[in-house]
Parts: sequence; C-alpha cells; structure tokens
Amino acid sequence: MHASSQPVVDIRDLTKRFGGFTALEGLSLHLDRGQILGFIGPNGAGKTTTIKILVGIMRPTSGTARIAGADCVTEARRIKRLVGYMPDTFGGYDAMRVREYLDFFGAAFGIPPRDRRRRIEEVLDTTGATPLKDRYVESLSHGMKQRIGVARTLLHDPEVLILDEPANGLDPQARIDMRELLLKLSRMGKTLIVTSHILPELARICDVVAIITQGRLRAFGTLERIMREIRQTRTFEVQLCDPGHVDPAARIVGEALTVEERGGVSSHPTESLVRFDTARDDRALAGLLGSLVGAGLPVAQFREVPKDLEDAFLSVTGQAGAGT
Amino acid sequence: MITILQRELLAILRSPRAAVGLVTVALLCAAVVVARWPGGGVADLSGGVSRGVFAIFAWGLLASVLLLAPAFAAPAIVRERVRGTLLLLLNSPLHPLAIYAGKFLAVLGFVALVLSASLPAAAGCLALGGIDPWRQVAVLYGVLLLVAAQCAAIGLLVSIRAASTDGAIRATFAAIFALVFVTLGPRFLTQGQPGVLSLGADWLRRLSPVPVVMELTGRANAGGVGLVETASAVPPFFLAGGLLCLGLAVATLLQLNHRIFDRSRDAGKITDDQSLAVRSARRLFFLVDPQRRSATIPRWLNPVMVKEFRTRRFGRLHWLLRLAAGCTVVSLALTLAATTGTVAWGVETIGGLLVLLQVALVVLIAPSLASGLVAAEREWGGWNLLRMTTLSGPRIAAGKLGSVLWTMLLVLAATLPGYLMMVVIKPTMASQVTLALVSVLLAVAVTIAVSAAVGSFFSSTTAATVTVSLVLLTAYLVPLGVWAFRDDPFGHRLVETVLLATPLAAALAAIRMPGFTGYDLVPAAWWVAGVVTVVGLTVFGLRLRRLLQPE
Repeated sequence: MHASSQPVVDIRDLTKRFGGFTALEGLSLHLDRGQILGFIGPNGAGKTTTIKILVGIMRPTSGTARIAGADCVTEARRIKRLVGYMPDTFGGYDAMRVREYLDFFGAAFGIPPRDRRRRIEEVLDTTGATPLKDRYVESLSHGMKQRIGVARTLLHDPEVLILDEPANGLDPQARIDMRELLLKLSRMGKTLIVTSHILPELARICDVVAIITQGRLRAFGTLERIMREIRQTRTFEVQLCDPGHVDPAARIVGEALTVEERGGVSSHPTESLVRFDTARDDRALAGLLGSLVGAGLPVAQFREVPKDLEDAFLSVTGQAGAGT
Repeated sequence: MITILQRELLAILRSPRAAVGLVTVALLCAAVVVARWPGGGVADLSGGVSRGVFAIFAWGLLASVLLLAPAFAAPAIVRERVRGTLLLLLNSPLHPLAIYAGKFLAVLGFVALVLSASLPAAAGCLALGGIDPWRQVAVLYGVLLLVAAQCAAIGLLVSIRAASTDGAIRATFAAIFALVFVTLGPRFLTQGQPGVLSLGADWLRRLSPVPVVMELTGRANAGGVGLVETASAVPPFFLAGGLLCLGLAVATLLQLNHRIFDRSRDAGKITDDQSLAVRSARRLFFLVDPQRRSATIPRWLNPVMVKEFRTRRFGRLHWLLRLAAGCTVVSLALTLAATTGTVAWGVETIGGLLVLLQVALVVLIAPSLASGLVAAEREWGGWNLLRMTTLSGPRIAAGKLGSVLWTMLLVLAATLPGYLMMVVIKPTMASQVTLALVSVLLAVAVTIAVSAAVGSFFSSTTAATVTVSLVLLTAYLVPLGVWAFRDDPFGHRLVETVLLATPLAAALAAIRMPGFTGYDLVPAAWWVAGVVTVVGLTVFGLRLRRLLQPE
C-alpha cells in the first residue's frame, strides 16, 4: 500500500520517441487521490501517448510513470487492476447485449460470477444505464455508449480512471449528464484523468489542468494558477453612458498606460465602450478609474473581462507555436 | 456512371490485392505454356500437349476469376454504407442505375485487365497448335467475362443486404460456390427423367460455368451420369447466365435507395419480460431461445470463447443447432439415397461426398470465423480493451481458437450419422471411415491454424477475410485441379506429391472415392497437415504475443 500523502499518479520526466520523432519529452506531473485532471492539448500533442504509457500498453523511451505506487512498465498486470481506461473509440461487439458485454469484461478481470452480477448492477446504477442492460450494444446512441464505456471501466473498481474524450460527440444534455457522472466518481474517491477538446466542460469539473503541446507540458496546476501564470496582461472594459464620451475616455486611458500598452486601447462608440489590455496592478487601475470620474465622464461600469480555459489554452499553445 | 466507374476502378487498381492478382495470373499462365513448350525442335503434331496446356490455362483462369471478382464486388456497397459515403452518393444527382453500373463495370474492367494479362499465354497456346482460336479461345474469354459478370452481380446483391464487409465477402464466396458446384447436384439425380423437375435441374446446371469449360477443354460434361449430350452447353450458359445477371441487377437496383438506411435499432426485447403466452409460444418453437436473458459466464469457461460465440451472428446456440441439424439431414439423405438405390453410386462415392460436404463446410465456415479473431478486435477498438484486462495471452488464444474449434467439431459431429449408416451397411468400411475422419479432423486443424495465423497479420477484417479465403481456396483447389489433370499432362507421381498438401485428398483416398484409389496418401499427408498446423499455431501465438506486448 502506498502512503496517503503520496500522489496517486506520479509521472517523472517521461519521454517517448518513435525513431526520429519525439512524441513526448520530459513530461512530469502528479495527481492526488480524488482529483480530476483535465489533460488538454491539440491533436497530436502527445495526450494519447501519455495515456497509453500510463495504462501499460506503451513503453516510454525514458522516465517513469507510477499509479498508486505501481510502475506502469514493470508492473503492467497490477496497473490493469488499478486503472480503468476508456479509449476514444468505444470498442463494442456485435450481437451482444449490454449486460453480456459487461459480464464479459467482468469475467476477463476475473471477478467471480456472483460478485460480477452485483457489480454489473452497481455500475449500471452509478452510470444511470440500468434501463439499457438488455439493449444490444450496437443499437445504443453515442451518449448511451459513453455511459456503458464508463460502466465498463468501473467494473473492477479501479483507483484511477482514464477517460479519453468522454464528452466528444455528446449532445448538450448528455454532456451535462457526463459532467455530473464524472463529479460523482470523483466524490466516490476515484482519481480521474480526462482529456477533452470541449474546454468549458473541463473547466467546470477539473481540479487540476495540464496543457501539453508538441509533446511538452506547457502548463500544469489548478486553473486559477495557470490563469495567473499566463495572465501577464488583463483585459478591461470601461462602459460609458454616452457614446460621445468614448474618445475622451480612450485618451485618458491611453495616458494612464505604458507606451507599449497604448496600442491595445480600442474605442467602440456604438457600444459606448473602451477596451484595453494592461499589466498594471489594481492600485494603478483604481487611479485610472478616479481619473475618468474626475474628468466628468459618467462611467457605468469598469470591469475586468474574465479569461477562461479556452483563453489559457490558446495563450499557451500560441506561445508554444511562436517558440518553435 | 463514368465518375463512379473511374473511382471504383482506380480504387481496385490501387489495392495490393489487385496487383498481386494481376501479376500472379500473368506469371502462372506464362509458366504453364513455357513448361509445356516443345524442346529440342520436336513438335507434338497430334495436338495433345497443346490441348492439355489449354485445359490447365482455362481452368486456371476460371479459378482466378472466381477468386478475384467476388473479392472486389462483395465490399463495394456495404463498405460505402458503413463509412457513410453511400448516403452522399444517393444524395447526389447520380441515378442509382449509374451507381450500380459504375460499380458493376469496375469489377468487369478489372477482370478484363486480368484476362488481358493472360493473352500472351493464350497466344502461346495457339502457337502450340490444335486449338481453335474462335471456337475455343474466344468463347473461353466470353465465358470468363460472363462468369465475372455473375460474380459481380451476386456480390453487389449480397453487398446491399449485408451488415458488414467481411460478412458480405463470406456470403458472396458461399453463393459463388453454390452457383458453380451445387447447381450441378440436382442434375445427377434427375438426368434422363421426363418432367418439369428434370428440366429445372437441367437449366439450373446451365448457370454453372463448369460444364461449359469442360466442353471447351474437351472433357466429359459435368453433371451427367454417362448419358451422351450432343447439344453444346455454351449458348444455354450465355442465356441462363445473362438472365441471372439481369435478375440480380434488378433485385439490387430495387434496394439501392434511401430505404436501406431506414432500419430501426433493435429494442432488445427479452423473452423473460414477455407475457406468459409469448413465453410459452417461444418455448414451443425454440429449443434454445436467443431472446432469453443469458447466464453469467461461469468461472470454468474461457470468457473470450463465450464472447466469441455471443458476438457471432451464427454463434448463438440456436444457430449452431440449426446448422448441425442441417448437416445431419444432408448426411443421412445422402446415405439413404445410396441404400435405397435411388442412385447407383456405391457406398464409397457416398462416403466421398460426405467428406466433400464436411471439408466444404470447413473451408467455408472456418476462415470466416478464424480470420477475424484478431483483425476484428483491432478494427473495432476492442483489442486495447482486451489488452487492458488481466487475461493472459495463452488464455486469449485458447478462447479464440476454441470458439472456432468447437463450432467446427459440432458441425462435423452432425455428419457422423451418415458415416455410421455407411458402416452399418458395409461393416468392412469401418477402418476406411476412421482414416477419413482423422483426415477431416486434420483438415479442420490446418484450416483453423492457417486462417488464424494469416488473419492475425491484418488490422482490417475485410482484408483478413479476403486473404484467408483466397489462401485456403487456393490451397484446397489447386491440388484438386492438378488431380483433375492426372495422367494428362501430370504424371501419377507429381499428382500424388501435390495431393499430400491437402488432408482433403487424404480423406478421399482413405474412403476410396473413385479417382483417388490409386494414391497412397496416409500417413504422409497427416504429417504434412500436422506440420502445417503446428507452424500456423506457432505463428498465431507469436503474433498474439507481439500484439499484446506494450508498443
């Protein structure tokens, strides 16, 4: 058993090369019990390579990966019991009913028949898929298949769940259901690694986020921390009451900013709005607001435009792209 | 139509299968002519050598067309439907007739290309003398083109009805097998008798190219039992074959519309949840009800084997029982026919037919089950899930091979009552039957091992099924083809050596089927079969191990 203080997922300096191509370079990250990691990156960034190494079906060129203390390379059999993996393809079989499908995977994990029957009922209940148990797998909709996919990963009660694009192709309701399901699993003490291209979905459920591009980890930590790291400039909007005050307000804002920042000031008379990017601190911004009010300009709102995971992702991938 | 034809033909020509097929046909045809080319300035004035070469050439080309044309026709529609491109085609301004004609002509075009590769060898045949360029060579090419058209028409009809590409390939090969060989059967029983039944059997035989090619190569007519026929088989074949193609084309075109996408999802009704009346009725009609809730996989059964049975369309017990029952009925009917004197074939011939029935079932069923054991999992994403379970490699292999072996044993066991009857009629045949059964069992082992080994190299079920079918049909038909030309031009020693390659010949020789009595194949053929099985299983095991290891 591993000590509770130890991370459940511990990846250190993981590198994978295919001939001359480096798919993964020096990836290091860790995850504590019950956390949900949002693992994001553009196509071909190295997400699936990382996942395949974690589940023991790919060997790294160098570096180590451990799950609940088990080495992903040398203890592949233990890893299979510790990890539940849902790939981005469902992996269904024709002419098989849902219960038979789960029964097969339960038997494949060596769960005794009596326990298996109970376990199948439990995972179907957890995933809200009990009404589907007699349906043929191939007749299920995409959303239903995703539920059954999660049920399959839960069968052997793994500590860590690795879900590759679980929300991909789901309709809005199914997406909400999937989100609730993942949060429920996290509350059950499962540690989750979730990849997705639907970043707002991830932002709502993830405790930590890892952004990977071109095989390298570009950002890792809580969403707030990443936002702080990438937030070298913040975007503000000054909402005025009268379109005629837009130009004087833009002039005052420009005077308060540095020479480099002045280029980022934009006026929007139709919206009675002035928008600008700045790295200045809150005290300086309070001074700017005072200047605007002091100049007799009626300011309706002085607000920071919130940035989300998408902005963070674009910022990080943009920086990575510029760096290459 | 030109757009579809262009795309389809290009797709065919770009496939490795097409290149291999073309080159193989050209090389084999040339090799046959070169091997029999007169040496030392001595020519055969009687024309016997050239007729022998022409016969091999004709049968070889027929076999090539029968193997290649279905492989390209069968996936043509179902593959587009599965990938979703058929819907795009049907939504385009193209008329269904244009889509059909494009696909049909693409297969014909490819076959024409294959046949054109054999033209230099045909010229060589003519140069040897004794062959009529129009009445034999030209008619042969016409017959082969019509055979290709039949294959294309059958393949496209099967393709529009099939649920999967590999299923379409299997069904098409089975249908072609029925068209070429089974259509000859009724004629055996009704020849010379008056009535509609005899007439029907006669026309049914006209659908098969075998009697026509026999006539063109100067052999006795197939499907006849000693009665001399004076009328040529060629015009009726063109008429019957043409009508068949037309009928199949109409049947396919009637289904080539948006309605083929209008298939509702199976609600998955379970008998256990039905009313008492429904449950009682199903109890009456089903020995094993496929709609009953299945039991949990017991601890003592290999889960992979159970999964393989459950995921096959015909793997469920009710289908297996139907298949076994059908085999039992056929084997008993054959034996009954011999004992009641309906046909004067003799017990040995009946035994030979039973062997042929068994091996035909093995060659048709086993590859379809064994070729996709790994390829299907890799294609549909199940392989990584299987790798992620705690099942060991040997257990996965045992489960997969066991699922095929048990099916085949069940089918073979169903034909045993026929043999039993035979032994009761003629007790001296007991040892012959035993030797034949051992040979058939070895045929099962060889077929499964080769199918599993070859199929494990593919990640697409279609490619695996096509390749395995071609390999096995070649492995079983080539020795029989050489046997068909025993004494002329192949000598006894060569034929016996070639027959050692197939346990089917060993079974036929053991049962003393007429034509095989002169060959001493047991136990040498068993050794060959044993070695091939061991090699096949080793290759399969190594492939499985490789695929289960981390990348």
